[in-house]
Amino acid sequence: MNRISIIRAQAIFMSPAVLAATLLILPPLLYVFYTSVYGPALSLAAYGQVLTSKLFRQTLTTTLVVAGLSSLLSLLLGFVVALHLARQPARRRAFLTVLVLLPFWTSVLVKCFAFTVILGREGIINSMLSWIFGIKIQLPLVLNMVGLLVGMTNFLIPLVVLPVLASLLAIDSAIYRAAAIMGAKPARIFWTVTLPMSLPGLLAGLLSIFVMSLGAFIVPSLLGGPQDQMLSSLVAFYNREVLDWQKASAISVVLLGMVFIFAAPLALWRRRKLKA
Amino acid sequence: MRDETVLGRDTAHAIALTGISKMYGLVTALHPTDLSVDKGEFLTLLGPSGSGKTTLLNLIAGAIGPTTGTIFLDGRDITQMPPRDRGIGMVFQNYALMPHMTVFDNVAYPLRARRQPASTIRAKVTEALERVGLRGFEDRKPRQLSGGQQQRVGIARCIVYSPAIIMMDEPLGALDKNLREQLQSEIKRLHKELGTTIIYVTHDQEEALNMSDRICLMSAGQITQLGTPDELYFQPRNRFVAEFIGESNLISGRTNGNGQLMIAGNRSIPVPAGGWTDGAELLVMVRPERVQICDMDEPVKEGSNVLSGEIGTTSFVGGMTRVTVQTENGLNMTARMVSGRAESRPQAGARVRVCWSSSDMVVLET
Amino acid sequence: MSDNIHDPHSRRYHAMGTALAVVIYLFLLAPIVVTIPMAFGPTNALTFPPASYSLDLFKIFFSSPDWLNPLWESIKVALGATALAMLAGAPAGYWIARHEFVGKGLITALIMSPLVIPTIVGALGLYLYFSYLRIGGTTLSLVLGHIIVTLPYVVLMIMAGVHKLDRNLEFGAELMGAGPIRMFFTVVIPQLVPSLLSAGFFAFLISFDEVVISWFLASSNTVTLPVKMFSALEWEVSPVIAAVSTLLTTVSLLACIVAIAFKKATPVDA
Repeated sequence: MNRISIIRAQAIFMSPAVLAATLLILPPLLYVFYTSVYGPALSLAAYGQVLTSKLFRQTLTTTLVVAGLSSLLSLLLGFVVALHLARQPARRRAFLTVLVLLPFWTSVLVKCFAFTVILGREGIINSMLSWIFGIKIQLPLVLNMVGLLVGMTNFLIPLVVLPVLASLLAIDSAIYRAAAIMGAKPARIFWTVTLPMSLPGLLAGLLSIFVMSLGAFIVPSLLGGPQDQMLSSLVAFYNREVLDWQKASAISVVLLGMVFIFAAPLALWRRRKLKA
Repeated sequence: MRDETVLGRDTAHAIALTGISKMYGLVTALHPTDLSVDKGEFLTLLGPSGSGKTTLLNLIAGAIGPTTGTIFLDGRDITQMPPRDRGIGMVFQNYALMPHMTVFDNVAYPLRARRQPASTIRAKVTEALERVGLRGFEDRKPRQLSGGQQQRVGIARCIVYSPAIIMMDEPLGALDKNLREQLQSEIKRLHKELGTTIIYVTHDQEEALNMSDRICLMSAGQITQLGTPDELYFQPRNRFVAEFIGESNLISGRTNGNGQLMIAGNRSIPVPAGGWTDGAELLVMVRPERVQICDMDEPVKEGSNVLSGEIGTTSFVGGMTRVTVQTENGLNMTARMVSGRAESRPQAGARVRVCWSSSDMVVLET
Repeated sequence: MSDNIHDPHSRRYHAMGTALAVVIYLFLLAPIVVTIPMAFGPTNALTFPPASYSLDLFKIFFSSPDWLNPLWESIKVALGATALAMLAGAPAGYWIARHEFVGKGLITALIMSPLVIPTIVGALGLYLYFSYLRIGGTTLSLVLGHIIVTLPYVVLMIMAGVHKLDRNLEFGAELMGAGPIRMFFTVVIPQLVPSLLSAGFFAFLISFDEVVISWFLASSNTVTLPVKMFSALEWEVSPVIAAVSTLLTTVSLLACIVAIAFKKATPVDA
């Protein structure tokens, strides 16, 4: 092949995207790093102050707990949905997949708004309970951990269903028939075939929604209480309220570091799968 | 030592490859290979999958670049030339027609890429479609055509810009038997009419024997034998060629100095001509249609090899009947004969003699 | 899966699984199911189901500049970001899918990185960077900020589309004398129309729905619809938000329908 004509074509095809990546994606990240160490002078002071502050430690704990709980819950519920979808004939599966895709593309703001209405003191759940029991019930379901987890789960389930469904559909259906013919009951088939064969997909799904929820901002802001805020909210707080960009940047770098620690195995796994 | 560059620059050849090879990492797809194709020749690259025939084709077309070696097209070095400047045509197994274009636009594509005037395009496309018998289909989309018709469009799209060489990559592989035979003869007719050099890739030996001026039989990334269909069939170089093309009876033995070849069961047959040293191990081949089955009491022709044995199986496959004979000295011989009706065909278990002429034996390289 | 096995056990398991799945489908759809009726409710209270039905909330929305200006801003930004992301992403997606080149892994990783990087980090970075460039708070800064979140989706969807195409068509065109540009426009683009349209729709939707980056970048006169809605939700929940939600959901629904329609209409012969 002719080197020069290939290089020229490559320049034409790739340069807009490369330009966008190098002028719009890279500089903001570098700016965050730069701002985190450059105050009056070059120092790691902001990191020291952030890492030792009680507020940060509390928020970090909340972030890990909320991200962990909501991803596990979403994985479990998403797996149930994926198993159900995988069992359906193709036509019905296509229809049901739309039911998962639609929430996937629905604005997170719409979801948060809906859950304030559903879970509020005068909301749908409390009204229903009041009507059932004949007394006024006003359970605190929103602006606390409950509301936050409900919102996060609702947001994350569609993200986990599609990849897990793909890994379930990749299992050759003849294996199920073979297992059944050899005398395995459904529970045994599930534990010996379905689960082990979809386990890599499940773990990858879990890791990816965990990484995603580490950076959650809208849902905790709107459905969580003041004590349930996550690292993103802290970034926003330092940026918009305190106007301390150095600390905001330092927290961003820590958050970025956490994301990369958990995303790295995922990237490695994807690359290995791509090669296989 | 010969001068490879001078060899390649010889313009008598439509295409010449010198020392061309392709490696993917540590895997060799094609060992260093020399090959030249005469102008107007119909050359077939034949071989099992993974033999390197498609690699060779892609190297010539420019889909991949060679690891070593040089490619000359009509005496010009095109090794570094992009595919669009090579002026080569290609017919693909899956047709590779543009699904969004009409038949006319598909065939006009190479002419438009060359910015020819609309009137020339119309005339040339019409002529090309005429040649493949698709006049009147100009406005159809490829999906409205049958497989055979789609491949005719693929061929028309090639001949329309008169490329120096047309490459055909298993062009009939996706078609059923009757259609395949019909298109085989059409391609042969077009080749004769146009005089274009054609490099044809197939794994179907009958197709190769039927169509080619020369066959280049490949295996394991190199050329095993290059020759006319006759040469490959009647003088196969080695066991691979003998077994890949047609059916063969292989007999191994050792020369004993008295002009005899000692074969299985201490039997001996005359050694084929060739001045073999005493005690040489030989592998000899006889084509089944050269083997005759005679009754025990039939007189045998002078110069024939005769072994007696028992009929194993007979299989009737239309015009020919294939008979296997278990000889007394432990060989398994296959004979092919013109079919008669069931009652006249040899019966399993019958005692017979198999005979073949010494001149029909070919010594293979081992 | 194992539906073709006739076994009472498996039927019982499946019935249980189905019941559970139905509950989860309802949970997933609940936000949409709840907001749409409320958008047609009265203007003074947010209850479900609404006590009465009217178009009053939409009337308020479409007559108040507080909501209309953000709507126009969102449309402007989304159109700009979609156009630029498509212009950059479509050729890049094709090239990445078809060619190996030095630095491919690095460039691809950089383009895809906004999928992994927490939005708030990107938003903070863009805020600092655009302040330095002195374009903070402008519509341009919003468009540029939205390119980085739409570009990865465009590239991914184009790559997926290209992988479904027959490579021989492109090679055949090159062999017949077409240069890379002519080949791209006459062979690749026409076959890629479904992918291009769905990538365009999704890029628009992602930009139109984007909150965090816009919230960091917008000034008082470049507030987008989601930013306006986010601020409104933070302070007090007004019934007009139900109408806004329904509007946003309609856009999502359209994008969803378009995507499904084009998924079915992928090239016939490829």
